[in-house]
Amino acid sequence: MWRACQSERHLGQYYTLPTSHLHTIFPHGLPARYQQQVKTFNEGCVMVRQPALELISYLKAADYSKPAVRYLLYGLKGSGKTMSLCHTIHYCSTQGWLVLHIPDAHLWVKNCKELLPSSYHTSRFDQPIEASNWLRNFRTTNERFLSKIKLRQRYTWTKRESTEKGSPLGELVDMGVSRVKSSSDVVGAVLKELRLQAAETEESEGFRLAVAIDGVNSLWGRTTIKKEDKSPVAPEELTLIHNLRKMIDNNWCGGAVIATLSQTGSLYSPSSAYLPKELLGEEGFDSMDPFIPVPVSNYSEKEFESCYLYYLDRHWLQHPHSENEGKKEIIFLSNRNPSVLERLCAFL
Amino acid sequence: MAQNACILSHRQNLHGDLHIPESLCWGLQSTTFSKMAASITGLLKPWTPRLFLVRWSRYNPYYLEPEPRKELYNMPETELTTEQKEERELKAVRPIKATTNSTTSSVFNDPVLSKFVNMMMRDGEKILARGILTQTLESLKRKQVEKYHKAPQGKKAEIECNPYAIFHQALENCMPVIGLASIQKGGKFYQVPVPLTDNRRRFLAMKWMITECRDNKNRRTLMYEKLSQELLAAYSKEGNVIKRKHELHKMAESNRAYAHYRWW
Repeated sequence: MWRACQSERHLGQYYTLPTSHLHTIFPHGLPARYQQQVKTFNEGCVMVRQPALELISYLKAADYSKPAVRYLLYGLKGSGKTMSLCHTIHYCSTQGWLVLHIPDAHLWVKNCKELLPSSYHTSRFDQPIEASNWLRNFRTTNERFLSKIKLRQRYTWTKRESTEKGSPLGELVDMGVSRVKSSSDVVGAVLKELRLQAAETEESEGFRLAVAIDGVNSLWGRTTIKKEDKSPVAPEELTLIHNLRKMIDNNWCGGAVIATLSQTGSLYSPSSAYLPKELLGEEGFDSMDPFIPVPVSNYSEKEFESCYLYYLDRHWLQHPHSENEGKKEIIFLSNRNPSVLERLCAFL
Repeated sequence: MAQNACILSHRQNLHGDLHIPESLCWGLQSTTFSKMAASITGLLKPWTPRLFLVRWSRYNPYYLEPEPRKELYNMPETELTTEQKEERELKAVRPIKATTNSTTSSVFNDPVLSKFVNMMMRDGEKILARGILTQTLESLKRKQVEKYHKAPQGKKAEIECNPYAIFHQALENCMPVIGLASIQKGGKFYQVPVPLTDNRRRFLAMKWMITECRDNKNRRTLMYEKLSQELLAAYSKEGNVIKRKHELHKMAESNRAYAHYRWW
């Protein structure tokens, strides 16, 4: 299997994700159009590209006794940031890390159907639906860690319910999924526990923690959620966002934070903005600073050829003219942008 | 009306390049040719729009149709037949009509598909109509490719994955062979079976397809889903559109007795 030994020789080539991995590691992570493609072709294939390989080499070379390093994937719209993130997550999973994957942080700051005032802190707001959904997917992704990790602290939810010190993490997660009202606080507790325990060394049942966030610029932007008196809610006032920001701070050891910028789901940002400074804003850039930026660009000629041949092989390019004269037209129309190419080849 | 028509033809014969829209003719009905020239330049100044829409005005018959396909221009001298050589010589002398905005010299340009998009279009929203068509082709291809990849090795060759082939074949299966015309004889109107031209057949097939998808669908299904279902059904000769074609054929067959009422 290619998983751990992908190198520059394999640039531009496709590798298949086993179906079991697709259901366990990515219950909620992959882009919508890619999921449709997986369903149509009956297999999931990812192209090995330079940004993902670079990230994986940094992860291999990093020192995990030092504070967590933060990586930021940025690039034009549709250039493959989310797919590179998923590739890196797959690598981390196969190496036995615990992966904390937030598929789209933008979904947590907009279109909130239920907003409850937080029981733990009076000025904050809870989002029960989003939190319980995320906990369910977290449970599917990290089954094997749930029984191994024990809680260090006692958590009291109501007068009658509490989770004792020393009980497995699985119990906490199950409680969060069933008791929807306190699920946001459960998320906060889970993140805190993982942060404290990831610092342990490898020998004494420690683990490495990978925090993967897609659309990290939503944590410092504005929200479209309104309180009952129609005044806007700032991101700090949401429990989920508050806890995530604590995760991103580099005051814990034994893991890495991999983030992606996204303009597509972001609120109140111009569509031409794609650089970190523009999308993160002053506050966000100062919190993320220092980080390692990884640029993701459109396909190179070799990668485009590879993608084209893959589509031909899977009987996706059906138009009789798409072989020779049509190829130049496709290159011109899509400018080798991966998502535009995918949408173009969908109807050709 | 006849006087009007002959004034128009008279004018065209004398001024080959002049293509005045028909609306101008109405004001010049009773004047003779010499007075006409004076009234145009003198008191009766007709309103001409700033942007003169050349395509929808009536072209002089000797304007030739444009040819958007690139491969015909790249063919060397030797491969041309005598007719094509004559056409080329004619093109050097005669003027050519302007093309519509939707014709391209791209290899993916298909006149039948463009016609279908125009027929689906409402209120001039070509982008929406074209988007629906591309989504239809995509969903057709997805269904067929999924079936292809799940099918056992022996059955793979039978599954047609090309959405364009499916579209053209489905339209052909929907085209009626014979049509009905309403002819008046002795005070009554009879439905007489009549041969149809190719254009008329294609138009009827597309019209039936579109009306059927607009009317007989669930409130929640989208146009492209319903269209792709109907096209697949028509490809395998099932479905409501094929049924409508068969009903037309049956009507024509039952009215066989009136066939001799047709005089063309």
